[in-house]
Amino acid sequence: MKVAVVGCGTMGTVHGTDYHRMPGVELTGVCDLDRETARDLAGHLQTKAYFSFEDMMAEAEIDAVSIALPTNLHKEYVMKAADLGKHVICEKPIALTLEDAEEMIAYCQKKGVRLFIGHVVRFFPEYADLKRKLDAGVTGEPGVAHLKRVGSHPGTVKDWYNDFDKSHGVIMDMMIHDIDFARWAYGEVQEVFALNRRSEEQDYALVTLRFAGGAIANLEGHWGYPGAFATAAEFAGKAGIIRLNSRETDSLKLLRNSAAPAGVRGVQVPKSPSYQDPYYYELEHFLACIREGKEPLVSAEDALRALEIVLAALESARTGQPVRLPLKGGAKG
Amino acid sequence: MRKLKIGMISFAHGHAFSYFNALNALPEVEVAGIVDEDKNRVAKITDTYGIPYYSEADELLRTGIDAVVICSENSRHAEFTIAAAKAGKHVLCEKPLGISTAEMEQMIAVCRDHGVQLMTAFPCRYIPAVVQAKEAIDRGEIGEITAIKGTNRGSMPGGWFVDKKLSGGGAVFDHTVHVMDLMRWFLGSDVREVFAYADTRFHELDIDDAGMVHVRFENGVFAVLDPSWSRSKSFPTWGDVTMEITGTKGIISIDSFAQKNEVFSDVTGKAQWSYWGDNMDEYMIRGFVDALLGGKPVPVTGEDGLKAAAVGLAAYESAQAGKPVVLD
Repeated sequence: MKVAVVGCGTMGTVHGTDYHRMPGVELTGVCDLDRETARDLAGHLQTKAYFSFEDMMAEAEIDAVSIALPTNLHKEYVMKAADLGKHVICEKPIALTLEDAEEMIAYCQKKGVRLFIGHVVRFFPEYADLKRKLDAGVTGEPGVAHLKRVGSHPGTVKDWYNDFDKSHGVIMDMMIHDIDFARWAYGEVQEVFALNRRSEEQDYALVTLRFAGGAIANLEGHWGYPGAFATAAEFAGKAGIIRLNSRETDSLKLLRNSAAPAGVRGVQVPKSPSYQDPYYYELEHFLACIREGKEPLVSAEDALRALEIVLAALESARTGQPVRLPLKGGAKG
Repeated sequence: MRKLKIGMISFAHGHAFSYFNALNALPEVEVAGIVDEDKNRVAKITDTYGIPYYSEADELLRTGIDAVVICSENSRHAEFTIAAAKAGKHVLCEKPLGISTAEMEQMIAVCRDHGVQLMTAFPCRYIPAVVQAKEAIDRGEIGEITAIKGTNRGSMPGGWFVDKKLSGGGAVFDHTVHVMDLMRWFLGSDVREVFAYADTRFHELDIDDAGMVHVRFENGVFAVLDPSWSRSKSFPTWGDVTMEITGTKGIISIDSFAQKNEVFSDVTGKAQWSYWGDNMDEYMIRGFVDALLGGKPVPVTGEDGLKAAAVGLAAYESAQAGKPVVLD
């Protein structure tokens, strides 16, 4: 399988790095408008750097392409790749509007290419384990859940995150992970109520989902959190409770004293090491779906539904009212 | 040393036993009488400590006590508080203060008219982590508060707690008041608007045991609170009181009962958390006693009780209507 990566930022680097070390997969190119960024990544991954999408697609042999661009560019490049008959693995969120997302899905179908959206949380081993336990019925009928995802503000590193028109903020870009997971765990969402406060330094959101089955989940998302990135989840049901907390699962702690090598003094580096990162499992799975023609663990339709919940949350935060799903004027089916 | 004579009216709420222990441990307090409709429920205490027992509150209120502690069913708080006030006794009343806004307003008015103090039992104000969080907030360590996420998840209490006539409401009423009081205290602002879900998800009950309460304060801060009785029988402790307070310059996280040892015993057959932190009830009782002996205002008032309970009542109104409710 020959793959290429469009966009050499944080996520493009992750995709490229995982493809590079994946058996049976050849990374035939990476591209970025920023030549140095493209050259750096290509150098690391022993592949070819391109500075335009068109050049790469014209020259490199490609079966599937990863789109790791700012969200507002997803539709354009997914459709360009589909036009060339390439399967597409696109970072989440699928798009910023339901119309765009629906068009992307329909277009890829029409062009006979597969479209996968990187809702990677389903591939995180702790979340996958939690889902297996829920499915096994250890917590019984769904009750009340909490999900949390907090970290630094990505806008301090990449400008586009700070541009609300391009990223739509923490609910769209980060909480969507938990929205997808919550929907996977507890089923379709009927109503959304959201509280959101945005400033230059912070984007903080509390979003409550009311599921069709009656269960309730409250999701907390924070860009601009003053501590290390952290996630947590709790699902309380009629027969029990299951929860995870990234702060409590560091299996390795390394503490250096003052005699440590120059430049690093007295730092603690807690880690939860694994042989593969969750993106590896996700990308490997998507490529297997292409190879074997099977259905993915998370479909483009799932990504569309998650987007719809995000848009409902943004509307609720704006109006102060609960918002019922499905949203009017979008999301067929 | 002048001793403060305190009577206790009803042990229907189990907190009465903890409050008794706290009162009994204070040298400046004499527990001068106990009223309970069920003599057996309090016999061990009255017998052991030689405390006069009364079957009716009136009998206790005719004695020379200074104050009463009321731990009846919620539906009887008003009746006992008003009777005590009319007899000139100060009152410490278990939360929630009452089951309707009108009766709570009356309780406050009657106490004021009779020159007695009314304190609402909000022991969470005395959790050391909560006290220090309040101090850090007041010092401006996290800047301006923008949002709070709280939980007061618990186990299903059963008994009269699940009988709406006696309790006034289920989990959403029972478990909204503590953390709502803390939020008001931290913010120095009142709740303007409530949007809530209330449902029965965890137990076979005719009363709510699950919910999510969202509030907006007058000062613009928003908050959410999970008051559900969602702790399973297998969970290692009864419940929690947590708050994640987000400010413009930082975060404060409170996990009130994190001071615990983990116990794994084949005798109990499940993991248990053994809390070893300070006993908040002792410090709350001391706060009540110190105020009365010192002739100072009680640290948590009837108005505080009313404001917190009003949010619980508005939560039901909102859940019923399916939309936000604005408080008067």
